[in-house]
Amino acid sequence: MAVTAADVLFWLLALCAGVSGWRVFATDSMVRASFLLLLSFLSVAGIMLLLAAPYIGIATVFMMAVEMMVMALFMVMFMMNPAGLNPMMMVHQHKLAIGAGVLAFLGLTAAILLTDLPSDPVPADRAVVHDLGIELLGDSMLVFETAGVTLLATMIGAVVLSSRRGRYGDADTGSRPPGLEPGGDPAGREPEEGGGGHHHHHH
Amino acid sequence: MMAVAAFVSLFALLILGTALAAVMDRAAVALASGRPMGAALKEPARRAAALLLRQKVETERPDSITWPLAPVAYLMLAAVGLSVVPFAPGVVVTDISTGIVLWGACEALTVIVVFLHGWSANAPMALIGGYRYVGIGLPVLLLSMFVLIAAALPAESLSVVEIVRAQEAGLWNVVRQPPGLALFLILGLMLTLRGPFDYADAEDLAGGTKAEASGPHRLAWRVARLAMLVSFSAMAATAFLGGYLGPVLPGPLWLVLKTVAVMAAVIAAGHMLARLPPSRMLTTVWVVLLPLSFLVLVLVGVELLLWP
Amino acid sequence: MAVTALVHRLAASAPVPVFAAVGEDGLRAVDRLAVDPRVDLVASPLHAALLLVVGTIRDDDRPELERLHDQLPHPRATVSWGGNAVFEGEAVDGTVDPLPLLSDMHRALMTRARPSEPDLLPNAPPNDWRGKGDFGQGGEGMMGGVPYGRPMPMTDDDMRDGLALDAYSAPFGPFLPQFPAGLTLDLTLQGDVIQQAKVLRPPYPQHESGGAAVALRHVARMLRLLGLPARAERVLHDGPRERLAQTLSRWGAFAAIPPGLGMIDGTDVRGRLRAWCAEAGGGAGPVVEDDGPLTDLLPGLEWHEAVLVLNSLPDAALRRLVPVPKPDDDQGEHKHEHHHDHHHHDHDHGHGEAHG
Repeated sequence: MAVTAADVLFWLLALCAGVSGWRVFATDSMVRASFLLLLSFLSVAGIMLLLAAPYIGIATVFMMAVEMMVMALFMVMFMMNPAGLNPMMMVHQHKLAIGAGVLAFLGLTAAILLTDLPSDPVPADRAVVHDLGIELLGDSMLVFETAGVTLLATMIGAVVLSSRRGRYGDADTGSRPPGLEPGGDPAGREPEEGGGGHHHHHH
Repeated sequence: MMAVAAFVSLFALLILGTALAAVMDRAAVALASGRPMGAALKEPARRAAALLLRQKVETERPDSITWPLAPVAYLMLAAVGLSVVPFAPGVVVTDISTGIVLWGACEALTVIVVFLHGWSANAPMALIGGYRYVGIGLPVLLLSMFVLIAAALPAESLSVVEIVRAQEAGLWNVVRQPPGLALFLILGLMLTLRGPFDYADAEDLAGGTKAEASGPHRLAWRVARLAMLVSFSAMAATAFLGGYLGPVLPGPLWLVLKTVAVMAAVIAAGHMLARLPPSRMLTTVWVVLLPLSFLVLVLVGVELLLWP
Repeated sequence: MAVTALVHRLAASAPVPVFAAVGEDGLRAVDRLAVDPRVDLVASPLHAALLLVVGTIRDDDRPELERLHDQLPHPRATVSWGGNAVFEGEAVDGTVDPLPLLSDMHRALMTRARPSEPDLLPNAPPNDWRGKGDFGQGGEGMMGGVPYGRPMPMTDDDMRDGLALDAYSAPFGPFLPQFPAGLTLDLTLQGDVIQQAKVLRPPYPQHESGGAAVALRHVARMLRLLGLPARAERVLHDGPRERLAQTLSRWGAFAAIPPGLGMIDGTDVRGRLRAWCAEAGGGAGPVVEDDGPLTDLLPGLEWHEAVLVLNSLPDAALRRLVPVPKPDDDQGEHKHEHHHDHHHHDHDHGHGEAHG
């Protein structure tokens, strides 16, 4: 079998995906780790393009770019190490992580080797994007809409939870829920620090 | 043959367009400030030469890969983004069925490149610029997606070639959805770090992400910004102004004329509109502009349902 | 080589990129330079070929000036304009227009006719590498230690939305062009929000008695910070005139400034900008009577907003709002100060001091 340009490209992209995926765990900064992971995803997106999936391939680039940017932003925001340039160790729980990694690798490899993968080349003139759209808004609509709405609800929930304005007052003044009976103790757990909350009189 | 013509057109438009953008930018400064216009023609070349002759200063422990690579990646994204634009019927570098999505991917990667430029210098002002830019850049990215999908709806295709064809058959998108073009121009300001959306390289941060860039590095960054302006303008001209369509004159010339017109609009807006503090702008984008762009999408959808 | 000669010739005729380190009574002269198309007043020393030291510089600021000098990319030169000549380079009298000299020096630098000035300070890291561990991390575990002589900042209480982020402390000034000349602030930032401000050195007195020209320069400075440098130049170019506020409001300058920002005596930044406009047209300028410390005004503001607040204040009011640190307070004490658990970065890295 002759080696085609697509074969060479596939192996190069696969190598890039693998190496950058490994470097994610060997680097010393959260920002570097995020964008190495992005590089790995971009390589996988390239492989998808080779597999004649133009929409999914390029959408992967787009989605992963935004996702990794947000991830880097939030990781640096919520964790120590402001610029991500002061070096820090990026891995912990070494033994467990290595064990889980090896197990996942063996499982996936076994799945690939033991599955009888179909060989079904896509004809060049087939409108794959059109077919994908029909599938998404046809038979699979319920599945995708359920997942989509769930994700949206999660995002809105996260925004509401992190917002300063809370149901029982500002989040940073230690808001307290009202009592179960008029004038009674607040329902649920009291905040550990009694900072603020002084304007919540219970009637 | 067509492929060769497409490649030649792409590089010609990118290089000549960048040079023209530099001159137009200086001319706009002269016009707005009351300086003599005469110098605008030669000044970009003089400034570029002066930058070439100055030293490239290294900061203390920068990220040695992303710091020099950021301007290069920015320039490459401009070229890749431009590659989906057809110069004439059949003359396009990447004729894929998902051209609009590829352009969107270039937008998203541009935000990352600008962030990395700010981050990798290992200096506070540049870093703040990078973070600020991401905060504003991401919602503007979403906005541009809605607007672009609205532009693609009449064509019933994600291919840029089809979008032009649909405008040939029907109305230009600027007539069908004028707010779409206005909102899309905001993306242009954001992608090219200009005026009211220049949160990355702003004056109040002593130059932001470019504060630490000197000599040839700064020149490369400036060239990349201008190249992205050309790329964006060609895309806006294609998605909203009918691209190469037009009477009498040959198609590529129409595309160039429209690109220059969009470039002029973005440059003028950059020099004429004041910049809001980031949190004020963030509220404006999320509360006003994003819903507006979604409304444009809905209206175009309803219109196409009623008058297919 | 013809190409090299062409590049040198083109570069020699470029506008002169100047970074101005402004001292006492220097601001007026620098603002006059800003409208000249032959000069490019740049925001970062890395963008400059010439360092222009204008007016008298305090002895305290000399180390910062030396570090600033070393950040200019080669080929570089220094010009001292009026006041005390600080170090090498050329000196001109304050009454002489320095433009011919600046142009000549830039031309000489670009054609390599004049040697570049060497560094004043040794180019050595201010702190030794103190990292340890397999991954070069600072100390034990995931974090800790002081790899470059500074520990990792820790999350600090947030004052705006309750989202606690890392706090970063550093001195900013005295030659940061966006700050009033000479003002040095020790700022603790979370992201770009100022959490804490402490005055290290007061601004230089500019001895400006007010008047239309001074007001106009204030308006121009605000416009530059709002991202309208060309408009700012136009304002200075056209000179004092009436109805300036209407023009600014057409440009969206007032709408861009958040209402209620930097409220002193019932007037916010918008109001003060309006008053500057009025003064440029012959009316009354902004009145700031309050003498509450400036450092109470800044916490909670974004960087962009804080810079707008600082530049909206008249010179005299600013000096009143900034208490002069006592001499014994000034010497070295802040060098060892820690804001609870985050360390005072000496701002040695990158070009922090550029801004400093």
